[in-house]
Amino acid sequence: MPVTDGYNAPLKDMKFVLHELWDASELSTYEGYEDASPDLINAMLDEAAKFTKNELLPLNQTGDREGCVLENGVVRTPTGFKEAYDKYCENGFTSLSTDPKYGGTGLPHTLEFMIQEMVVSTNMAFGMYPGLSHGCYNAIYLHGTEEQKDQYLPKLNSGEWSGTMCLTEPHCGTDLGLIKTKAEPKGDGSFALTGQKIFISAGEHDLTENIVHLVLAKLPDAPEGVKGISLFLVPKFLPTAENTPGQRNGVRCNAIEEKMGIHGNATCQLFFDGAIGWMVGQPNKGLAAMFTMMNAARLGVGMQGLGIGEIAFQSAFDYARNRDQGRSLGGTQSPDRAADSILVHPDVRRMLLRMKANNEGGRALAAWIALEIDKAVKHSDPQVRQDADDFVQLMTPIIKSYMTDAGSEAANLGVQTMGGHGYIQEWGMEQLIRDARIAQIYEGTNGIQALDLAGRKLGAHFGRYLRSFFHPVSAFIEANVSNPDAVEFVPDLAKTFGWLQQASGQIAQSGMKDAEEVGAASSDYLRLFALTALAYLWCEMALKAKAALAEGKGDAAFYEAKVKTARFFYKRMLPEAQAMFKMISAGKETIMALDEEAFSFAA
Amino acid sequence: MTEIRKIAVIGSGVMGMGIAAQCANAGYKVDLLDIVPEGATDRDAVAKGAIKKALKTDPAPFMHKSRARYVTPCNLEDHLDRLADVDWIIEVIVERADIKQGLYKQLAAVARPDAIITSNTSTIPLSILTDGMDPARAKRFAITHFFNPPRYMQLLELVTTDATDADVVDELRRVCDVALGKKVIDCQDTPGFIANRLGSLLLQAASNATADHGLSIEQADALAGRHFGFPSTGIFKLMDLVGLDLGPYVSKSLYDNVNQGDLFREEYRESELLDKMIAEGYTGRKGKGGWYRINREGGGRVKEVRDLKTGEYRPVEKPEGAALAVSKKGARAVFKAGDHLADAAWCYMSKYFVYAAEHALDIAQSIFDVDEAMKTGYGLKWGPFELMDVVGAAWVAGKLAEEGRSVPPLLQQVGEGTFYKVEDGERFFMLGDGSYQAIVRPEGVLLLSDIKRRSEPVLRSSAASVWDLGDGVLCFEFTTYANSLDDSVMAILNNTIALIEKDEAWRALVIHNEGRNFSVGANLGIALFASNIAAWPQVQGGIKGGQDTFMKLRFSGFPVVSAPSGVAVGGGCEILMHSDAVQAHAETYTGLVEVGVGVLPGWGGCKEMIRRHSANKRSARGPMPALVKAFELIGTGQVAKSAMEAQRDMLIINEADSITFNKERVLYDAKQRALSMVEGYEPPEEATFRLPGATGRAAIDMALHDFHLKGMATDHDMTVGRAVGQVLTGEDTDVTEELTERDLLKLEQKYFIKMLKEPKSLARMEYMLNTNKPLRN
Ligand SMILES: Cc1cc2nc3c(=O)[nH]c(=O)nc-3n(C[C@H](O)[C@H](O)[C@H](O)COP(=O)(O)OP(=O)(O)OC[C@H]3O[C@@H](n4cnc5c(N)ncnc54)[C@H](O)[C@@H]3O)c2cc1C
Repeated sequence: MPVTDGYNAPLKDMKFVLHELWDASELSTYEGYEDASPDLINAMLDEAAKFTKNELLPLNQTGDREGCVLENGVVRTPTGFKEAYDKYCENGFTSLSTDPKYGGTGLPHTLEFMIQEMVVSTNMAFGMYPGLSHGCYNAIYLHGTEEQKDQYLPKLNSGEWSGTMCLTEPHCGTDLGLIKTKAEPKGDGSFALTGQKIFISAGEHDLTENIVHLVLAKLPDAPEGVKGISLFLVPKFLPTAENTPGQRNGVRCNAIEEKMGIHGNATCQLFFDGAIGWMVGQPNKGLAAMFTMMNAARLGVGMQGLGIGEIAFQSAFDYARNRDQGRSLGGTQSPDRAADSILVHPDVRRMLLRMKANNEGGRALAAWIALEIDKAVKHSDPQVRQDADDFVQLMTPIIKSYMTDAGSEAANLGVQTMGGHGYIQEWGMEQLIRDARIAQIYEGTNGIQALDLAGRKLGAHFGRYLRSFFHPVSAFIEANVSNPDAVEFVPDLAKTFGWLQQASGQIAQSGMKDAEEVGAASSDYLRLFALTALAYLWCEMALKAKAALAEGKGDAAFYEAKVKTARFFYKRMLPEAQAMFKMISAGKETIMALDEEAFSFAA
Repeated sequence: MTEIRKIAVIGSGVMGMGIAAQCANAGYKVDLLDIVPEGATDRDAVAKGAIKKALKTDPAPFMHKSRARYVTPCNLEDHLDRLADVDWIIEVIVERADIKQGLYKQLAAVARPDAIITSNTSTIPLSILTDGMDPARAKRFAITHFFNPPRYMQLLELVTTDATDADVVDELRRVCDVALGKKVIDCQDTPGFIANRLGSLLLQAASNATADHGLSIEQADALAGRHFGFPSTGIFKLMDLVGLDLGPYVSKSLYDNVNQGDLFREEYRESELLDKMIAEGYTGRKGKGGWYRINREGGGRVKEVRDLKTGEYRPVEKPEGAALAVSKKGARAVFKAGDHLADAAWCYMSKYFVYAAEHALDIAQSIFDVDEAMKTGYGLKWGPFELMDVVGAAWVAGKLAEEGRSVPPLLQQVGEGTFYKVEDGERFFMLGDGSYQAIVRPEGVLLLSDIKRRSEPVLRSSAASVWDLGDGVLCFEFTTYANSLDDSVMAILNNTIALIEKDEAWRALVIHNEGRNFSVGANLGIALFASNIAAWPQVQGGIKGGQDTFMKLRFSGFPVVSAPSGVAVGGGCEILMHSDAVQAHAETYTGLVEVGVGVLPGWGGCKEMIRRHSANKRSARGPMPALVKAFELIGTGQVAKSAMEAQRDMLIINEADSITFNKERVLYDAKQRALSMVEGYEPPEEATFRLPGATGRAAIDMALHDFHLKGMATDHDMTVGRAVGQVLTGEDTDVTEELTERDLLKLEQKYFIKMLKEPKSLARMEYMLNTNKPLRN
């Protein structure tokens, strides 16, 4: 049996971040969220934990082995996916946070993000099908006409139809300015789309009766580059007057990729051959339309990192405490057994604690940004909405990038913890490495996220986005310099924060003269930023835990573990920040010094 | 030999009034004469009305309200005899030779024989004006052609003849240049003189090319951009600004007066659309709109432009085109871009080049004078010859030849060379025979750009340079964007002060530059970014660093003279207030504008305002009146609209300081001022203050509250205003306590940082940086 089957959703920690670290009860004060009381949120989390464990987890390893199959232009998903999908819809997971006007349940995004983590942990490949529908929903919701909304949103909400995002083409991934797919106006308001898209997740499958493709393409007279891209809605079956799937549209899947992981999710080559579509939003403003929903999508990918990180951690831990090898360096622990469990070994503990600290820190960060997303949408004060949106803009690339890196690392550490047993298929751990890896690549590679942070977000509005993070953290440090409970953390936090400030200043200044300096600093800067954010959050969490312990409320063991993990983070992970700062300060020189010819002398 | 002491201006239209006001600004008593309106009870009503209107005009013709009293409204029937006292009579009446000649006859009867009479005509040749005039009068008659508005436009075209008395020429030049501050350019007596002759051709050819090549107005304006050294208005926006109704009139008269075969006659076109627009009152900014307008229908604010195909307004579009895409690479790249915009640009610019080259030496004394006239008259960065050097004179000539057009002699003469050259730091211009003549500045004119060409800086960093003005005087020049101030400026300013203190070779410091702004104050972008990342120690360091530097300026052992021109606000104003003397250009706009961006003066501005207004003998007794005045100035972010206002009303410039009217003379005057102070120089004594503390604050809070009630102050204005009040009243002090300058600086620091922690202050900064306008949040 796969070691991963022992997974349970980290409900206690989720509730801790939502209700103790943050205050999710504020959600119910927003108009439209009146029902989202902490009790309801908790109940929904419990519910989702059961569903994902019972329905999705059992299909994770089988789905990976079986994969998707393309036959006669139709993709068959792995055994059990269809049934699980139907239940998923029945349980309302496809419409959790969407607008009641179109059949949504209208619950906070915060809840949805927490549930997403569980879905990813239990079956990332499966989760991508409804995940893409959600992205498609958002784009139409924000930019579609009333007619398009009425026609498509209820179907996407119910899960009867699913969605895709078709950006990538063979010659263009990151650089969408190179898109070639053409959209010719047909004169009746519709367009004929022609071209090839590749790597389209959920581009073809048997879970739903119809698939709504959102396609980036160019109008005949479009300007060059990214300024000439428009967004189109292209259904697999053209809707009839009754809004049922009608005539088959000219979009076909003629291959699916053989790939490293997420085998249960079809990655499709799609051919558009005069396929009929309708424009979403304004001509030549397609990229902007696509990007307004990217924040949510990127945060969703960040949650994939967290989800994988969590199941990897739980599984590795479970394995480690049951695997007896060698004796503790500090003296035998289990004399009745042939060997001590590997959990006694400092190096194994190091690996597990890294995973744990990143997961819990990442969850705290995710909950923070999720709450701000809800605030940015729902708060009554426009200024508060703007401030919240600033924060979301700023933190999105950090979450996407750091958490997918951490998820990948966790999967690797999980395999390492298990030794050779991690490497073979049977235990389910190697699958996590393979599944996690893509999250660092799609929705904008992590390198591009770092550029987005250092090149765009950092300087935007003269650093206004930064304010949404720097001011609260600065105020927190100021408020806690002489707090005895914080004294073990605050000096290091202040130091790291100072490096982040300096690095931000350096990049802002050098970047004005030389954009390559920004590029050279970007990945390290993002990591420094993430570490600072986690340091802040770990300090906050430790203080909350200490306070709870002092009050003697709740589960003391849980709070003690929090404090100890915080200490681990500060002593054994945060020091990396200094290295990042040094690398940033070194500038681009050594990165740019080598000529192309000098890279390799292999003949 | 006549020394001009009293002036009369005849004709009180916009130009006449403007000229009278500028004479008054310069300290002259002026009689302003106009006709007696029919049946009027007040026979001076026309001139009086003009003065009244001038006092309300913005930008103001008068530099200070009180200067209106220097102008005496008169009429042409009752007051002609007053002209017997007048040294210079300026005629600014309707542009008709016969009417002007009639007036001159009247004047001849009353004016002193040695009086100087000039006309402000822009179109009628001197030879016609003096036709039939008594030769003794004609010898003392000239054309002084001002540009509109006379206070603000630098150019003055002076037309005299060989017969004109030398003392008349000298005195007019002196008064116009030194006293009125104009750039005086000698012109030949030819139609339109220099600037309007070439300018009209340029505008006409550009309009024609726009129509012929099918450009939109937006494209045309973008095409006539920075790469040609044109102002940001381009062609059509410039016409809107000047007024559309004037152009056709000047053009027509030019058309009538230039010779047959003149290129202008070929280009000249009457435009039905333009005539229709003028007839309907679309005369540009002053009318209902012009080529552009802001459409406020339905409460909106849509920028619209005339579509040249339909003649109707439509929303402004972003201009595109290959020529525009390469415009950053310069004029030649634009010409070579290969699209229809490039063709249009070459079409009209080549005509402008040819016209300038063909006529330069019949309309002006040199190509240098032509360039100077075009730059000061049309706000260009380069005159036509300088621009041809930029593009490549040989390239221009080559292209003309290629197109089978004739190449004017001057362009042939210059060959592969340039119209200007620099040798050993001296700049030369080409004469008609191909030889070169050095540019010589008049006595009393000292230009930093000349010094920079001749020498290496004594100190230099990316933020500033320090130049040797000779006689032991150094000149500190900011080189940052808009001459904004930051740590790096302070660093080199400190080094400069240390250098002068240490090295006996240096005796005094002048702070000056030739930018459009003396200084816009602290670099807001840096301050905002630092605040956004909560880098409070650095921000605090920046404030303290500036204070320390300015205190050093004030108490250094040598004289410091600031010589501003243009905008000197915020930190730029604080520099003036920490200098020993200010030798300001008359057009200096200074004030403490910090509240507009949600903070308060932090480099000693609050302290100086208190000190200066407390020491003001004219203000009422007791500490409060001075504080209230300082509060009013700082709290409303008031900016002086002239050096005179800054001196008289705001006390930013000391009473003992004098003002220079001609921008090109500011540096020379400042240097002389500094030298005059060197002998026996003693730094000022440090001031002490007794401030009222909480009791005084009550009064200020009440005033604030009143503003708030009247809707003149927003909530955040109140927050910032209260912070200003805290500093000005000395926070927790009371009158028994003696505070030092340092004490006040510490308060400035404290409240400055406090304001930077206010999100609304940061929002103000961001808005200012983005839009250049204050945010009232
Ligand atoms: C399993 C899977 C599912 C996918 N699903 C979808 C989908 O549903 N819809 C869709 O449209 N696409 C999808 N993609 C495509 C994915 O988004 C792209 O692969 C990704 O955007 C990267 O593009 P690329 O592969 O062309 O790499 P490239 O763009 O060629 O990048 C290669 C490397 O160069 C770096 N790089 C590129 N440009 C820059 C730059 N300007 N600065 C710095 N570094 C740079 C990148 O970071 C990367 O490391 C999927 C891909 C996979 C593998």
